[in-house]
Amino acid sequence: MEGAAEKKALFLQRTLRSGQRVRYDGSIVILGDVNPGAEVVASGDIIILGALRGVAHAGATGDPTALVAALQLHATQLRIASCIGRRPDGDKASGSPEIARVQDGIVIVNPYLLGA
Amino acid sequence: MPQVIVVTSGKGGVGKTTTTANLGTALAMLNQHVVLIDADIGLRNLDVVLGLENRIVYDLVDVVEGYCRLRQALVRDKQFDNLYLLPAAQTKDKTAVNPEQMTALCQELRQDFDYIMIDCPAGIEQGFKNAIAGAEKAIIVTTPEVAAIRDADRIIGLLEAEGRGDPKLVINRLRPNMVRRGDMLDIIDVIDILAIDLLGVVPEDERVVALTNRGEAAVLQNNSRAGKAYRNIALRITGENVPLMPLAEEEGLWDRLRRAVGLGRH
Repeated sequence: MEGAAEKKALFLQRTLRSGQRVRYDGSIVILGDVNPGAEVVASGDIIILGALRGVAHAGATGDPTALVAALQLHATQLRIASCIGRRPDGDKASGSPEIARVQDGIVIVNPYLLGA
Repeated sequence: MPQVIVVTSGKGGVGKTTTTANLGTALAMLNQHVVLIDADIGLRNLDVVLGLENRIVYDLVDVVEGYCRLRQALVRDKQFDNLYLLPAAQTKDKTAVNPEQMTALCQELRQDFDYIMIDCPAGIEQGFKNAIAGAEKAIIVTTPEVAAIRDADRIIGLLEAEGRGDPKLVINRLRPNMVRRGDMLDIIDVIDILAIDLLGVVPEDERVVALTNRGEAAVLQNNSRAGKAYRNIALRITGENVPLMPLAEEEGLWDRLRRAVGLGRH
């Protein structure tokens, strides 16, 4: 397909609990939750079909175009390439799907709208 | 079919020992043969909570080292002759026992008891590994606090990694009034994170502290809500289907009177 980049991905169907860590050279897709204290590290993108409450590091080998998306993005901390972001204190997550990307050196979280 | 159940939590002070003592006593009240193992070697407490401290002659480490026979180390409960305690050693530490020895010990106890409950020490090190070695089932105790839930989550992950999945959850010391005010996590919040089956909810009950200090079990008190919750959990362990009890304190006569004359709390 023209224009589609082929990336390898690790698909996990489980919940990551506190103290558990997944690292993969490629993208990671998790069908489950990532609980507080758990860590997901990928050189590519990270997609969580569930609640992301732990730490996610996408583009860990230095790719600033990597993204993190989750059905509920309550991450303790989001890291993309060498940028680190967290929600401002007191800021509440929306509870609906959101996507995080790096824009101008900072991690920006936007609602994930189909087709947008 | 005997069951070996470990009571664990990760975090200390959430009520593992109180839960073990009360569930053991409640199961004994249901005419089950029960032995409680204190796996917290070096920091034993279960004997104190059961009020059996002064009856200990031999302990778990003596058994494992072949210094005495298993039967000699078992301490019979004051009230129930179908409830026994295998006390921990107080002068040794966790390295005095290994997981293989604990497994063998549980195997031997299976011949004489219906329920073998292991009171696990806090932490995830050697003591935890010993405590879970011989158990095929696990009860996770947590309080509705973020730190306790975090540690419970870690423990569930470790149990899964050891192939001892499907642990059951006990939420301890829930304060309905605080939940109502939004100052405490409620049951749904806890289940949402931990995502395991709920075995029961024990409301905070000041009397438990007083009873525990005297070495008495809350389950023996008919007027204790915590005691009732533990009795229900014991029934669920034996396979009975008992609905969760309403958590709110029942209204006392005084409250009803106040309300009747228009001084009610809202």
